[in-house]
Amino acid sequence: MTTLTQTPLERRYARLGLLLIAPTVLIFCAVIIYPLVSALYLSLFKVFTPTLESSWVGLANYRELLASGMFWSALVNTLVWTAGTLTLQIVLGIGMALVLHQNIWFRSLARSLILFPYFISTVVAVLVWKWVFNDLYGILNHLLMQAGITNMPVDYLGSMPNAMISVILVGAWKYFPFVVIAVLARLQTIPEPLYEAARIDGAGPIARFFDVTLPQLRDVLVVIIMLRAIWDFKEFDLIWLLTGGGPSSSTETLPIVVYRQAFALNQMGMAAAWAVSMMAILLVFMIVYIRKTRDKGAV
Amino acid sequence: MRKFLGPIVLNVFAWTTILAVAFPLFWMLVTSVKPQSELFRRPPTMMPEVWTFEHYWHLLTQTNFLVYFRNSVMLSTVTTLLVVTVATLGAYSLVRFRYRGRESLAFMVLFTYLLPSVVLIIPLYLMLVSLGLSNTLFSLVIAYTTFALPYALWLMRSFMAGVPDDLEYAAMVDGASRMGAFVDVILPQLLPGIISTALFTFILSWNEYLYALVLVNSDDARPLTTGVMNMLISSFNIEWSLLMAASVMMSVPLIIVFAFLQSYLTRGFGAGAVKG
Repeated sequence: MTTLTQTPLERRYARLGLLLIAPTVLIFCAVIIYPLVSALYLSLFKVFTPTLESSWVGLANYRELLASGMFWSALVNTLVWTAGTLTLQIVLGIGMALVLHQNIWFRSLARSLILFPYFISTVVAVLVWKWVFNDLYGILNHLLMQAGITNMPVDYLGSMPNAMISVILVGAWKYFPFVVIAVLARLQTIPEPLYEAARIDGAGPIARFFDVTLPQLRDVLVVIIMLRAIWDFKEFDLIWLLTGGGPSSSTETLPIVVYRQAFALNQMGMAAAWAVSMMAILLVFMIVYIRKTRDKGAV
Repeated sequence: MRKFLGPIVLNVFAWTTILAVAFPLFWMLVTSVKPQSELFRRPPTMMPEVWTFEHYWHLLTQTNFLVYFRNSVMLSTVTTLLVVTVATLGAYSLVRFRYRGRESLAFMVLFTYLLPSVVLIIPLYLMLVSLGLSNTLFSLVIAYTTFALPYALWLMRSFMAGVPDDLEYAAMVDGASRMGAFVDVILPQLLPGIISTALFTFILSWNEYLYALVLVNSDDARPLTTGVMNMLISSFNIEWSLLMAASVMMSVPLIIVFAFLQSYLTRGFGAGAVKG
């Protein structure tokens, strides 16, 4: 970038530029920056939600939070969910992208069908899966029993570890299309001569995947993994609607605790402390991601 | 022989997986047109023996569905118009102008794009309650800008970067003012990007759940997501056919987008999410 404005025209342009960004900055300050700061401030108070009566407690909320086993178990749940669903999304996503990259029949229809789960509302996804998972009349139990895999109906959402596994699977189903599309776009730009060279060297399909495709996908995969890790970490809707954090808080992740503290247990200050702590952990991911994109010159 | 069999094996494998992924959606459609009595048949029927649209009729005439639907349409439209307008101007400024603080602003956009809603929701709730706006659609528009604006800006930025500088300069050499050049030259070039940003913003707002859950507590202002979920929670006997019909109806705008405007969705993917 060149040095800052000098000539009158450039100065006028700079002013126009500021004018154009002004609405954005105003909205950001009002609905993002101010709430962020007040979340920090709020976390130092004890607030009773219905009356909004509050008293200063300093760092007591944080002390209480870190001392309770709940924080650590919620953190573990969040990490298990994130790692589990992210791994599945990446593996399924790459696999499906490779398939769709081939010349299969009705390719664009196939792509639409794969893309659909990503765009439907989480509410719709959860309703459909709850019906599929239904213990008495659900199709999944029927199919599993017919295939002889189990002879008792499985309780998918009401017992552990089933609940966590089900949530992870539904999360993977809902979000893997993101990986598919991103990887597919990158696959189409890998130069064909690379594959030809590998073929001449006698590399089979599997060797070609590991020696040519995967290294070429590396950069885009790093970005996808970071983004999805952040989004999965903060996921609320899917888990809340499927299990509500149950059975007995075994799928209770950090975002769900924040919500429950604020609006079910009516402790806004404590909830803010949870939110800030969660944010602190997430910040690590975010900084890594922002660094990565900045290196690439995207920011 | 191998040359002939290879593609068939691949296709069979590919389509089995694709249909397995799409199965829950198929099942939603099938369930929504089955009569209640057929629903609890064992074994379940893969295709309905009797087709019925009574659940759709019931949904539209005897529940609040249409109110929720109208709320969602208004909410998503207003949010989209507001956010896309602000983001287009903002992105133009961020990409094409030079001033102090520009880089930190771009950084802030990315930061807020990744910000979790649950962190903002507590102070936002307090703010909107003290402004007397809770239980209105307007409060949701305000809340939705917190995620929609960073998202739209992030998308628009990369679309804007794809419009060549020369066009703008050529227009200005011909005597157009800076804003004149923006309207005449850049906006037409940017149109596909604007459409795809608008689609993403609309879908994002259409599907939002958490803010709607916290900020709105009356049926007059409830959007579809929380409204339909309430039908599940409040009913004594869960009517799955009705819920599946509601799910189908709720996905109608999306189906329309998929049928006619899908290329804009893929374009948005390429621009915003994974530009790396």
